[in-house]
Amino acid sequence: MLQCIYLLSDSGEVMLEKQLTGHRVDRSICAWFWDQSLSQGDSFKSLPVIASPTHYLFQIVRDGITFLACSQVEMPPLMAIEFLCRVADVLSDYLGGVNEDLIKDNFIIVYELLDEMIDNGFPLTTEPSILREMIAPPNLVSKMLSVVTGNASNVSDTLPSGAGSCVPWRPTDPKYSSNEVYVDLVEEMDAIVNRDGELVKCEIYGEVQMNSQLTGFPDLTLSFANPSILEDMRFHPCVRFRPWESHQVLSFVPPDGEFKLMSYRVRKLKNTPMYVKPQITSDSGTCRISVLVGIRSDPGKAIESITLSFQLPHSVSSADLSSNHGTVTILSNKTCTWTIGRIPKDKTPCLSGTLALETGLERLHVFPTFKLGFKIMGIALSGLRIEKLDLQTVPPRLYKGFRAQTRAGEFDVRL
Amino acid sequence: MAPPAASQRYPSPSQPSGKSEVSDLKTQLRQLAGSRAPGVDDSKRDLYKKVISYMTIGIDVSSVFGEMVMCSATSDIVLKKMCYLYVGNYAKGNPDLSLLTINFLQRDCKDEDPMIRGLALRSLCSLRVPNLVEYLVGPLGSGLKDNNSYVRTIAVTGVLKLYHISPSTCIDADFPPTLKSLMLHDSDAQVVANCLSALQEIWSIEASHSEEACREKESLLSKPVIYYFLNRIKDFNEWAQCLILELAVKYVPSDSNDIFDIMNLLEDRLQHANGAVVLATVKVFLQLTLSMTDVHQQVYERIKSPLLTLVSSGSPEQSYAILSHLHLLVVRAPFIFATDYKHFYCQYNEPSYVKKLKLEMLTAVANESNTYEIVTELCEYAANVDIAIARESIRAVGKIALQQYDVNAIVDRLLQFLEMEKDYVTAETLVLVKDLLRKYPQWSHDCISVVGGISSKNIQEPKGKAALIWMLGEYAQDMSDAPYILENLIENWEEEHSAEVRLHLLTAAMKCFFKRAPETQKALGTALAAGVADFHQDVHDRALFYYRVLQYDVHVAERVVSPPKQAVSVFADTQSSEIKDRIFDEFNSLSVIYQKPSYMFTDKEHRGPFEFSDELGNISITPEASSDIVPAQQYEANDKDLLLGIDEKDDNKGLSSNNGSAYSAPSLENSSNITSQMQELAISGPATSATTPQSSFGFDDLLGLGLSTAPAPTPSPPLLKLNPRAALDPGAFQQKWRQLPLSLTQECSVNPQGIAALTVPQSLIRHMQSHSIHCIASGGQSPNFKFFFFAQKESEPSNYLAECIINTSSAKAQIKVKADEQSTSQAFTTVFETALSKFGMP
Repeated sequence: MLQCIYLLSDSGEVMLEKQLTGHRVDRSICAWFWDQSLSQGDSFKSLPVIASPTHYLFQIVRDGITFLACSQVEMPPLMAIEFLCRVADVLSDYLGGVNEDLIKDNFIIVYELLDEMIDNGFPLTTEPSILREMIAPPNLVSKMLSVVTGNASNVSDTLPSGAGSCVPWRPTDPKYSSNEVYVDLVEEMDAIVNRDGELVKCEIYGEVQMNSQLTGFPDLTLSFANPSILEDMRFHPCVRFRPWESHQVLSFVPPDGEFKLMSYRVRKLKNTPMYVKPQITSDSGTCRISVLVGIRSDPGKAIESITLSFQLPHSVSSADLSSNHGTVTILSNKTCTWTIGRIPKDKTPCLSGTLALETGLERLHVFPTFKLGFKIMGIALSGLRIEKLDLQTVPPRLYKGFRAQTRAGEFDVRL
Repeated sequence: MAPPAASQRYPSPSQPSGKSEVSDLKTQLRQLAGSRAPGVDDSKRDLYKKVISYMTIGIDVSSVFGEMVMCSATSDIVLKKMCYLYVGNYAKGNPDLSLLTINFLQRDCKDEDPMIRGLALRSLCSLRVPNLVEYLVGPLGSGLKDNNSYVRTIAVTGVLKLYHISPSTCIDADFPPTLKSLMLHDSDAQVVANCLSALQEIWSIEASHSEEACREKESLLSKPVIYYFLNRIKDFNEWAQCLILELAVKYVPSDSNDIFDIMNLLEDRLQHANGAVVLATVKVFLQLTLSMTDVHQQVYERIKSPLLTLVSSGSPEQSYAILSHLHLLVVRAPFIFATDYKHFYCQYNEPSYVKKLKLEMLTAVANESNTYEIVTELCEYAANVDIAIARESIRAVGKIALQQYDVNAIVDRLLQFLEMEKDYVTAETLVLVKDLLRKYPQWSHDCISVVGGISSKNIQEPKGKAALIWMLGEYAQDMSDAPYILENLIENWEEEHSAEVRLHLLTAAMKCFFKRAPETQKALGTALAAGVADFHQDVHDRALFYYRVLQYDVHVAERVVSPPKQAVSVFADTQSSEIKDRIFDEFNSLSVIYQKPSYMFTDKEHRGPFEFSDELGNISITPEASSDIVPAQQYEANDKDLLLGIDEKDDNKGLSSNNGSAYSAPSLENSSNITSQMQELAISGPATSATTPQSSFGFDDLLGLGLSTAPAPTPSPPLLKLNPRAALDPGAFQQKWRQLPLSLTQECSVNPQGIAALTVPQSLIRHMQSHSIHCIASGGQSPNFKFFFFAQKESEPSNYLAECIINTSSAKAQIKVKADEQSTSQAFTTVFETALSKFGMP
């Protein structure tokens, strides 16, 4: 049972306070918390669950905003954290992001949302489609409307009936003149390449994201050509479990609008689309560094937005780096980013240069880890393919769209 | 660590200081209050917004309460919401003014818009002003009957709020039975879920003084109710599902079919997108199958994949919470995760708290087949930018080496670390090499040649330096220049700031002296002189002791300081298995995150609802049981020890062995103990050290949990010996009572003196305690008394639980015994009966 939720700005200021139960939590807890996280260095390093002298604190940080929840009683920690994540998601969905200005400008909406999301310390409704029916987002359209009609209320007049129906995620009877449904396979490749250039770990985390704008009460089935490659799946509550168990078919009544239908994992991939070959030699206080980046196995689509970033070790006093393709920037915190874009046809991109070590150091002892970033549109690297999407009753003017993309998640190349 | 005083530092200079702005607002609001001019709502809205933004940044705007209420007559719902928010925040401080709000809130409760009805009802219940409760009953009653589910949902929670303000009003209005019927019959899932949550809370609190509430609370755990919820679990939202799953954990299945039915019903919950639901389901599965070893194993296999997916899919905060639970499972059943070790590889961008957990798991899952890969991976982290993680990973390598897998390759790796010439890497590695040598003396030659090449000047950290000095002393005969290095160090005695290092220098000089006397004599003399003059008590005492024992007899001195050693077979675990089990029982709670059971960090009133009454009915907990619970503050100091935990303690262990006492005393944990230890040795010689007193685990002693670290059992005694200081908390007792099969039922008569003495339960409790049988709960009135006892074997943590019902009119006692070890339950029963038969005897 959560007793209080605070939203703190990146300077530790309390932007919002929502007491949830009769046991009020004094604001001084925030000051305690902030001192604590300052003493930890940066908030990124402080634990998500800590114990203050009076309360247990759960915190998550999103874009500099700390969501802090307090409790005095034992509760499942993951539940508190999941809930805070959900609050952050809903807010960023409503406000188009979370930052200090957005929250301060819209604090009434934030209060309204929290009011519906949690009552007496227990989470209530966190389903975005239902919330949106109760509290209209402050979007451009509603602003225009309020100017035109003079009705500034952002609260809809009707109560969501979804809460009472057997498909709580779907509002009652949405109507569209043209019926559209889009399915996106979005995959992230996580990989570790060790010092010897071996691929130690390579797996894909994928999501099936949908955007459904369908009239009435559609019943959909989505099937894959090769579902057996999926390691483990997590489903949106709308997915029926039995059809998946027996025939690996996703059968569901979708929520309205955008949502995540399922997430999955594909393990033990043998190959990455790109390689990174770093080399460092150091001798009497200077290091020569050279990094080659290229395509290992052509995925068949263009690899875009290639970047390579790494943190220069503390013992490096200055760096002189240049590349034969793309741009290299070094920030004051010694983060070095090499923006490559696409791989040119005629040459292999190469970053080279020298690092000067602090005086007294002969060789480099701490080595950087390179983080590779890339994006490939039009292909799911796991090899997962959608076979078909069927509707039980086909509405008029139906359009179905499919897309896929893969990007690098945590792609570490160690030196 | 006291909470800081309420701070007003937040309003920055750019923000209004408050006073004048608030009084401005007051006048403006007053002007608008009666106005019905068009557009007045807009101006009101702006003013309200200002008031609330002041409230949010911490300015006290309670002075406009009256004006806010006067302005609240409006049909605009946003205005209403802002007003409710304001009123909710300040009502408690202004009980008299709050009366003003009742009127308009009550009116809103009858509004035709269900949303306004709901919101008004919620605000009404959130005022929390005790003298206004009479106004709540009516609106709540009609709210519970409202035809809109939104209003009913809010009304149900409102009942719980009312209960917290005034339990008697809530009970007198007969709300709990209404909630119960709603729970079982309402069509809306959220209403049902809120009823469940409210009833659980109300009945748990009521159960302490009402038998009826107690029965009602138990009825929630009856088979029909549980199945009613589980069968329709998919209708509930994710949070309500968590609630139901938590209820299901407490359910005691009737047979194995029951267990399988529940698991089948819940299996797809493991696929849920919400991690909290998955973890709650995992808990149900684990608890249900505790008594079925094979199935329990299969459960691990089944839950592995969903948990691993959760780890890689969420935010770092979510990953952390899941990893903490996974950590618990991995440590319990490492072999099941042995092939998944790659999941625990650290990615560069992960926060260090995640990396740290992963390192621990890598250590836990290492076995013959994967050690090489894991150690290779860990070695890469040693060159990591994050120094704390680099250190941790070196320690992890060392721990794996101590687990006896593929030591050969690991020793090579460790020695390679020494070549990295990073001070902290070297220091950590030296500590590990030292521990390794204590376990595997056969590696000494390889290690010594490398260690000998390290210049002590390059090591700044006391722990590393101490480890090096220990090796110099221990292997003086193999390192040609050991005496000279020591001599060098001793000459710089004054510059050595760490007492730990100085202690080690003394011991090492002694050891070196026994092996190479001519070369060391001078250095030892200098060291002893410097030591005796040292301002640090321990150093002084040790130097003096060495000096005297040398004076007495050099051979005795050698026997004391440097006796022949046996290799350490297992380093003591920092956490007893009982504590680990306890944490496991508290799966999906904060205990897992903190890696210690809840009794160590929560005080009694903040623990979850007291659940002991399920089996024991209406009986009280004796002071014996609750005295185990030490207030939280007292724990803080110990908790810190625990948090430092593993690494620090390992080091200390290494240290304590240096005083030359036999190796079989890993229980010496503190360097401060050494001196007292030395004195003991001086009197009785090294032989006694084999039976050193119990460990210095602070918390163990505090709680009387000494059993887990008790000395090895003597050959089984003819008669069962019980531990006089046994401890078991009610939760663990209940758990065990539920899980263990009944081993014995016995009926015996109680002697008349005993019956005469048994006017109150306490008399028997005290008597049994003198026989090392402790009472955990007791109750009843003449003629029927009921007791729950427990006892533990002296030598090992094996528990006996007994239920004893004594009827004083028939002078009969009925005893039911459950035991961890079935074989000895007869022996225990004999002890128990003997003890009982002596009751009342002078």
